[in-house]
Amino acid sequence: MDLMQPSDSALISLYLAGQESAFAILLERHRSRVFTTILLIVRDEDVAEDLMQDTFIKAIHTMKSGRYNEEGKFAPWICRIAHNLAIDSFRRGKRVPHISLTDNERLNNTLTIADDGPDDILAREETHTRLRALIQELPAAQKEVLLMRHYGDMSFQEIADATGVSINTALGRMRYALINLRKKMTANSLHHYDSNLTPFDTAPVCVQRIAG
Amino acid sequence: MIQTLPHSTLLQYVYNELPVERQREVEEALQHDPDLAATCADLLLAQRALDGVRREPRPQASEAILRYSRTFLSKS
Repeated sequence: MDLMQPSDSALISLYLAGQESAFAILLERHRSRVFTTILLIVRDEDVAEDLMQDTFIKAIHTMKSGRYNEEGKFAPWICRIAHNLAIDSFRRGKRVPHISLTDNERLNNTLTIADDGPDDILAREETHTRLRALIQELPAAQKEVLLMRHYGDMSFQEIADATGVSINTALGRMRYALINLRKKMTANSLHHYDSNLTPFDTAPVCVQRIAG
Repeated sequence: MIQTLPHSTLLQYVYNELPVERQREVEEALQHDPDLAATCADLLLAQRALDGVRREPRPQASEAILRYSRTFLSKS
């Protein structure tokens, strides 16, 4: 973690002391992971935004009523709320086909890489759209672990506890999720998603792990 | 070559869940095991791809949450 950045715990304390700006930082820090977690379950961006709002409103209520457990980590906690709301919504059948009328608007709002031309941006976005579709094809248990670990920032042990399986099962599901995803990406010719790293650049391996 | 570390350990490594000592063990193994290094690179590729899928909500959605949060100020 960047030492110059206040921790989530510090931001929550400031927020509870009346500093609204602390909550704004907390929201900015976590909205993407929450939104992506929900979006990959409900497959509709408008529904995902509604559920993201519900998630943070629930979090606000919990914090403001003094029921937030400071010993827990904020990111896994809020992503568990998001995951549960998204699953409930999906089961109620509120989802609609994932092509949204506002896709172009979103594209303009979210893509900020100035060095790439419009064709590059569109190609990358198309690749990401196809990849999102491939994630939907994963078996439910594998997809669940993948979302919780990669976007929800939950540890494998936390996922094991939340889903009622052993840590080895959670790890195994994640492993197969990634293997399946790689196979599907190869079968769908999604090779150009990252030009900085190819499957053959293994010596030396430059490890850039996700910060814990 | 037989891989010197189980996949589960490698998975915890790329997600930064191993204590420092275990991290060093993995890094040592990666230096001497090309198959393990290839598997690790594959995991990193998948990670990078998943990072690309991450999306941002529209600013209006965040603004609505902040507006809601501010309603608690007038109550307190």
